[in-house]
Amino acid sequence: MRKFLFLSLSLLLIAAMAVACGAPSAPAPSAPAAGEQPAQAEQPAVAAPAASAGRVQIRWFVGLGTGSSEDQIPAQEAVIKRFNESQDRIELVAEFVPNASARDVLATQIASGSGPDIVGPVGWGGSNAFYGQYLDLTPLIEADGYDLTQFNPALVNMYQTEEGAQAGLPFAVFPAAVFYQTEMFDEAGLNYPPQKYGDKYIMPDGSEVDWNWDTLTELAKILTVDANGADATMPEFDATKIVQYGFIFQWQTHPNYIGTYLGGANSLLAPDGRTAQIPEGWLNGWKWWHSGMWGDQPFIPTGPIIQSPEFGSGNAFSSGKIAMAVVPSWYTCCIADAGQSWDLAVMPTDASGKVNSRIDADTFRILKDTKHPEEAFEVLKFLIGEGSLDLLAVYGGMPARTDDFDEWLATKQQQFPWVTNWDAISAGLSYPDVPSAEAYVPNWSQVWDRVSALDSLMVNEKNLDLDAEAAKLQADLQAIFDAAQ
Amino acid sequence: MSVISKAASPPGPRTRTGGSRALARREAMWGYLFISPFILGLLAFTLIPTVATFVMSFTNFNLSGAGTQFVGVSNYQRLFRDPQVWSSLLVTVRFAAIALPVGLILPFGLAVLLNSESLRAKGLFRTLFYFPYIVPFVAAIFVWGALLNSETGWINQFLRWVGVANPPNWLNSTVWIYPALVILGLWGIGNAMLIFLASLQGVPTELYDAAKIDGAGWWGQMFNVTLPMISPVIFYNLTLSLIGLFQYFTVPLVLNQGTGAPGGATMFYNLYLYKTFFTYQNMAYGATMAWLLFVIILAVTLVLFQTAKYWVYYAAETR
Repeated sequence: MRKFLFLSLSLLLIAAMAVACGAPSAPAPSAPAAGEQPAQAEQPAVAAPAASAGRVQIRWFVGLGTGSSEDQIPAQEAVIKRFNESQDRIELVAEFVPNASARDVLATQIASGSGPDIVGPVGWGGSNAFYGQYLDLTPLIEADGYDLTQFNPALVNMYQTEEGAQAGLPFAVFPAAVFYQTEMFDEAGLNYPPQKYGDKYIMPDGSEVDWNWDTLTELAKILTVDANGADATMPEFDATKIVQYGFIFQWQTHPNYIGTYLGGANSLLAPDGRTAQIPEGWLNGWKWWHSGMWGDQPFIPTGPIIQSPEFGSGNAFSSGKIAMAVVPSWYTCCIADAGQSWDLAVMPTDASGKVNSRIDADTFRILKDTKHPEEAFEVLKFLIGEGSLDLLAVYGGMPARTDDFDEWLATKQQQFPWVTNWDAISAGLSYPDVPSAEAYVPNWSQVWDRVSALDSLMVNEKNLDLDAEAAKLQADLQAIFDAAQ
Repeated sequence: MSVISKAASPPGPRTRTGGSRALARREAMWGYLFISPFILGLLAFTLIPTVATFVMSFTNFNLSGAGTQFVGVSNYQRLFRDPQVWSSLLVTVRFAAIALPVGLILPFGLAVLLNSESLRAKGLFRTLFYFPYIVPFVAAIFVWGALLNSETGWINQFLRWVGVANPPNWLNSTVWIYPALVILGLWGIGNAMLIFLASLQGVPTELYDAAKIDGAGWWGQMFNVTLPMISPVIFYNLTLSLIGLFQYFTVPLVLNQGTGAPGGATMFYNLYLYKTFFTYQNMAYGATMAWLLFVIILAVTLVLFQTAKYWVYYAAETR
């Protein structure tokens, strides 16, 4: 009896300890209408298994940029398999984390001391969110004798920090272009947008005009159609029954991007490094965009439209209901539902004839807290070398290595055989945004979020005083920059 | 003369102090042993982290890799200069002004209806009203996000069908987002409703009989019998609702990916605290914000408890 009691008590104590360690210290509140439930954290799609015997495990974190879509994972896993089978010293494992939560997940991992070894592919934005946490590759490059001449020197220099450290190596470049639906142009009796930079656009009446944002606006209005078939230039056009829109910035609605495309590369931080500024060209670009959504002749879908299932639940161009989209070339990762009649055109100029475009550039970065820098560098070399073309095929990027361009082009032509003008992408390499729309500023993540708040206002509020909002933004940014000093 | 050894003779009554003290000690020991897992958990997962965040709030600890240094009260000074802190608190208060009354009155109203003598199939209704509470909350948020879509959501489609020409832009308007969040939270009222129902069923019926005899109608009974008798439960729900509102986080995080959209209207204080920790990676400042939240919630709770003596009636109390 005593033994039974002792056993029962011991089991009870162990169970109680397990419950106490998992339970909150206060009783769970009831859930009135405004009540709270415990947050449910998103888990990575693939968790890292234990390392195989004798191999050094290198963890690769995917999700800060592209790469975590379901249709991209198999190709990456194939690259991982190929790497692991090619040698027996290193075991590469990947964690695929949805982009929406990747920054938070990675920050949690780093804070808890369990950060990955390599992150990527990651562009400037994702990299800036973890500014100062990347390994300087210079000693590894020198020790390995890695040949940097295979890359354009300008691209190599892009990844040098202000302190002179080489924090990354070129991998993929994604110039922006105009994606357009040829069938919609055919239906409207319009010529397609220009295929080469410098070409004019030919209007339906045969006149030649500059291919600029005014021309694009005019075309977009003609291509915006309501349920009765009237377009936005017609008096009988019903803006409440639009079934097809003329234009969208596809996943490029952050005001930094729109400002760059329409107003030219600039920064919200003045050259003195301390003062917040709102470039006039950016403010004018934001006004053009807001007017395009909410004006008397709308031709750009608003926020609710973009989020609706009928318009692709956020991926509007792929809904097949948008005539033109401006987006970097990584968008080919996610364009499967857009049909087989889209093609590529060059970016329009501003009123002065200058092309303001963007180039996203992705790479893989090694975190400075990695316990295996040499092995991580071996993986990095493979990902940007032997494995790069397979990865670029799913990421939608152009190879930074010029020797690989022809092979990349062949892959794209096989993937999208109806597209005739890949040159629009490659020609875009001549029009980078310097400084990048995602360039580092102090407290970058907080600045990015604050500017994003303006984005959500613009896509959702018709009656918006943009001048007042810009002034408020500038004041808030100044407070953020001041806090960083 | 027979000698009765001490050993053979029955023991005399024990002295109260000696025996009961040992018994009390043994009972206390078992008590502490049983609550030790909870104490250990409390120490490891609550008290020690609480002290750690307090210490952290006086440093500049972040993820950027620069060394951690003691910075005095500069984080607290920054707290008062940070416009986003006050903006987020205002967002929280603005939401609470709508959500709190709805979160108390609606479940109470449903409980009153369910407690009605003339209602048939009470068990069925109780189940139906409680059922949404067990739906996983994150899944419910996604469902409501689709329902509340201003263009294609069922709610606005219904409103258009009944003749509302411009139904609200629920999730994307800085004005309508708060009612939208309250509507979204309605799925969670089942739990509060059950608590109210249980308290209503505990009100002695003779009080209603006496009130009827005195001529009290329905409203009279409600305000003079029902509400005073269930005031402890109202107080309990009010306290926990307020705490929950100040910690409101999951819905804006899932609904708008923590962006605070539209236009910062859902950047609740707890969400901003989370982003400060994990997105902006400023752990020390986040710890400071956490302590401000603690002070605010403590102050509100103390005020509630102080005012409770004026309106909460405990039947066991004697005045």
